[in-house]
Amino acid sequence: MMKYILPTLALGILAGYLNNSFGSSPLNTIFSEHVFNFSLIALLFLMGLLFAADKQSMAQIRKARLKILLFPLVVALGSLLGGLVGGVILRIDILAAMGVCAGYGWYTLAGPLVGQLFGLEWGALAFIVNFLRELFTIVATAIVVKVDKYAPIAMGGATTMDTTLPVIMHYCGQDTLIIAFSSGFTLTIAAPFTITGLSLIAH
Amino acid sequence: MPGLLDAAVLLIPLMTGMAAGYLTRGRKIFNFKKVVSVAILLLIFSLGFSIGSNTELLIVMPKVGLYAIVLLTMALFFSTLFVKAARKLVKI
Repeated sequence: MMKYILPTLALGILAGYLNNSFGSSPLNTIFSEHVFNFSLIALLFLMGLLFAADKQSMAQIRKARLKILLFPLVVALGSLLGGLVGGVILRIDILAAMGVCAGYGWYTLAGPLVGQLFGLEWGALAFIVNFLRELFTIVATAIVVKVDKYAPIAMGGATTMDTTLPVIMHYCGQDTLIIAFSSGFTLTIAAPFTITGLSLIAH
Repeated sequence: MPGLLDAAVLLIPLMTGMAAGYLTRGRKIFNFKKVVSVAILLLIFSLGFSIGSNTELLIVMPKVGLYAIVLLTMALFFSTLFVKAARKLVKI
């Protein structure tokens, strides 16, 4: 499976680029919206089915209970600390650097929101950092899972409720579904509040 | 906020799938592994497609590349470190 991920992504990028170069055709909407949404919905359905059909996965979640809420909290804290340390290393505005990392991988939100609150160049940076976070999680999960079973969930941030969920479940096991989804869901809700909160402190 | 609404909508297929899985529990069900793999690749291809057709993203990428890599590396490092520590703390 892993050997197909990178070539498929590269092929997709190339196809999108060529399609755009030869004038925008309906193919863009078909792939970027319809195929994307359809495969995402189908995957979420199948992930739910496989998870609930497995007795052991449910038993493990029952045992973990509220502890699973700790995951999004520490991922958020880790991302913010990462922004702080990165900001110090690069000698740039620390709060803006933290705002960039507070998208937790949700680039379609982080880009425009950080751009509006901190300035356009920060918006571009937020878009790229969070976009690369998603991309890196998809590509590297197969390797990172060897470091820690839950490391890909930490890396994926807010994206573990949708785009990176299938890959994470594939490599980390079916029992990670609830932790990955709930962590992604909580971080998705937290992202706009954290970014806005940081901008309030900054101004 | 439309983004949050989209996120909440994703709960529907997941919950429906879980209900279907719960109802068919114990029974021999069709092996979905191949379907899952194909759907993952389809998702990744269409993700790539939307990246490739986003010219603005491709133009701005090299300009902020170094900053992005440093910030991303730090965010990933500390998130992973904290999750590892939290797992030890609460024993998951």
